Amino acid sequence: MAVADKGLSGASAGSSILNDERYRSVFYQIVVFGLIAWTGYYLIANTANNLQSRGMSVGLDFLSGEAGFSIAWSLLEFKPNDSYFWVYLIGITNTLIVSFIAIILTTILGFFVGIMRLSSNWLVSNLAGWYVEILRNTPLLLQIIFWYLGVFSLLPRPKQSLDFGGAELFFLNNRGFYMPKAVPGELFWITVIAILVAIAGAIYLTHRSNRIQEATGEYHSAFWPSLALLIGLPLAVFFASGSPLGFEIPALKGFNFRGGGRIPPAMCALLIALVIYHSSYAGEMVRAGIMSVSHGQTEASYSLGLKPSWTMRLVIIPQAMRAIIPPMISLWMNVVKNSSLAIAIGYPDIVSVFMQTSLNQSGHAIEIVAMVMLFYMTVSLSISAALNVYNKHVQLKER
Amino acid sequence: MTDIQAPSDRELLIFKPKPSQPPPPATTGLIGWLRMNLFSSVSNTLLTVIGFYLIYLVASAVNHWGIELAVWNADTRRECLDQSPYGACWAGVFVWFNRFIYGRYPDLEQWRVSLTWVIFAAWMAPVWFPRVTSKVAIGLSAILIYPFLAGYFYLGGERNWFMEIMVSVAILSFVLCWAHVLLCLITGRGLGTTIISLSGYAGKHDKTHKYPIIAFGAVGFVIVYALISGWTLKEIGTNNWGGLFLTLVISGIGIAFALPAGIVLALGRRSKMPVIRVVCVAFIELLRSVPLITVLFMATTMFPLFLPEGLVFNKLASAIVAVCLFSAAYMAETVRGGLQAINKGQYEAAAAIGLGYWPMMALIIMPQALKLMIPNIVGSFIGLFKDTTLVSIIGLYDMLGMIKAVSQNPQWIGLHHEPLVTAAMIFFIGCFAMSKYSRHLEKKLGQGDRR
Repeated sequence: MAVADKGLSGASAGSSILNDERYRSVFYQIVVFGLIAWTGYYLIANTANNLQSRGMSVGLDFLSGEAGFSIAWSLLEFKPNDSYFWVYLIGITNTLIVSFIAIILTTILGFFVGIMRLSSNWLVSNLAGWYVEILRNTPLLLQIIFWYLGVFSLLPRPKQSLDFGGAELFFLNNRGFYMPKAVPGELFWITVIAILVAIAGAIYLTHRSNRIQEATGEYHSAFWPSLALLIGLPLAVFFASGSPLGFEIPALKGFNFRGGGRIPPAMCALLIALVIYHSSYAGEMVRAGIMSVSHGQTEASYSLGLKPSWTMRLVIIPQAMRAIIPPMISLWMNVVKNSSLAIAIGYPDIVSVFMQTSLNQSGHAIEIVAMVMLFYMTVSLSISAALNVYNKHVQLKER
Repeated sequence: MTDIQAPSDRELLIFKPKPSQPPPPATTGLIGWLRMNLFSSVSNTLLTVIGFYLIYLVASAVNHWGIELAVWNADTRRECLDQSPYGACWAGVFVWFNRFIYGRYPDLEQWRVSLTWVIFAAWMAPVWFPRVTSKVAIGLSAILIYPFLAGYFYLGGERNWFMEIMVSVAILSFVLCWAHVLLCLITGRGLGTTIISLSGYAGKHDKTHKYPIIAFGAVGFVIVYALISGWTLKEIGTNNWGGLFLTLVISGIGIAFALPAGIVLALGRRSKMPVIRVVCVAFIELLRSVPLITVLFMATTMFPLFLPEGLVFNKLASAIVAVCLFSAAYMAETVRGGLQAINKGQYEAAAAIGLGYWPMMALIIMPQALKLMIPNIVGSFIGLFKDTTLVSIIGLYDMLGMIKAVSQNPQWIGLHHEPLVTAAMIFFIGCFAMSKYSRHLEKKLGQGDRR
């Protein structure tokens, strides 16, 4: 009716106003708008009433108030007399650091799983298939709790810690994972600059090799020179400036380890669970992406005389990436969101320290919920903005 | 060829190929398969060996812990540990299994929950029967009317006039549904046709056919209403609900709500009316960009502020509302994906034969789009079913919540592994079955598109 009316409504001015699509559309919109405005007014009025009767106020003043609780682990320093706003920032950094590490490991493991799924070896592809099915079909929360209660809580006490590699550098016990902490010396900044220069040099070498190949058709691999530059230059500068990097090695003092870096058990469990759970999804995406490239591409590339490794690197992977990256980025978004399950095992992420502890203490539900949602929405919107930029970049190449 | 007689002297010249040789033994049968798939090259052989070794390691560890050293009979965790400190304590799972399924629902009333599951299975089963007509009506009645019956069975207590009517309608529909199914299977004619022919209206005008059916329904309703009046079940508050039962209640309501709400939101998002589009986009994007746990926290902390004074939402209701909103937003994007895959020509063709917006959507676009969306819809159902475990964080006793409660019980303190493994198996069976069924359905419905 809608489309048919479009033509008629102009022609027959005498037809009922009820059947005119334009009036109807305006009418529906007014109704929807009115309903929403009324609901909003109703909720706000109720909230104002409730807050008044409880003697509470709305506002961000509480953020400067003293938090008064301690946080088990944080990247930045936190003292109980810090403000609620600092708690918010601590929560954000803790969420971001765990998501960042999990995203990197998930992507690597996901590629591995996806390639295993495509293996011509029946056993390997089936093993990977069952890995994916088992992990995808059980809840993430259950897996997180299993890793925490079932694995990391049952580790031995510090005195009997597990020593990784036997070199007394990496220890695992029920207080967490201990590792040497790098302590940069005064002249370490020179090495950092050398690393940046080496990366820039490697990029330049690769570009030059591509340019020469396009101009003359001769291919000189830039791989080995780049690798030599990447490893050699920083090492040379490092030793030339007198090895300005010390390591603080964890050592058992009394009942616990002192020194070194520590990852608490909750973070270990959360990281492992997040990585393993999402790697099953990532594996399926990689598999679907590679399968989406038609087999004719492989055959065409072979018939041009490209060797299998080049076929994979120059023909298949670039086309597969187009199909892999968009879902992969939304998977990264899921990793960030799912890291909020940390609350179940007491890793102090933003939901745990801000939405639970701070909310229970201060009672400012509306502000805190809004702030947490704002954080997640910012992350989500920036990730989808990055995705849109990527999609445009890829689409330009399509003919 | 048989009717042409070849001369006998030419017969000698006919080329007779030797029977073809059998394929090399190394490429057929078991050995051939093994060589092709497991030992085709040195690196593949290595991978196979490593793979088998991994399987051996996992299987032997599981066997050692879960079967060889396991304790099947004990009254406390202490007894388990005394019998075998390194084995699984399945005795704990046996003792608590009832609680994992029904939560703290009283033992004597658990039949009510089980009965509603059986009724649901019986109500939905005819959809898969051959030779049964009106399957859509059967399915819809199971989704729309059944919840009232189940809700009353779970909650019990006095019924108000509305519940009295709805429970009667539900019982009547179930009985009529099965009467219809049996008639279809035995005589090949549905309930409606049988009533019409028995009442003698068969020869009359089609418009009069509804009268005997309405009369039949009304009589049935009065009978059922009279039969169940005065029948009540013991009231059981929602704070006793728990275990898998609670998980199913929350995810069932979420699923039932998500699909229609998701369709409406997706249509709104594609609408030409700016106000409706903006509202839908804002709702979808807001809920999709935040984790479910924040929505659940919002529900438990902010709903009490939103509601007028005196009206109290319990935790379960808040959680259900949160899950419904959340899953609707995700479903909307799934549906939008399906709608986008429909060719524009379909819309134009529907408009050209004079269909309005809603008939066009209901008759032309949605049937095609839903078919395309099945894998993704089932995927979101599985996701929702798994995500329901999050309600244990806000303090509801779903299956995970019950497991936590068990590990804090003085007699079974520290019993984590076995209940978690059991719950994982229950979830795995449910989700795996759903995904397998969706793949089967996809194949079955896609038959028409295959060339």
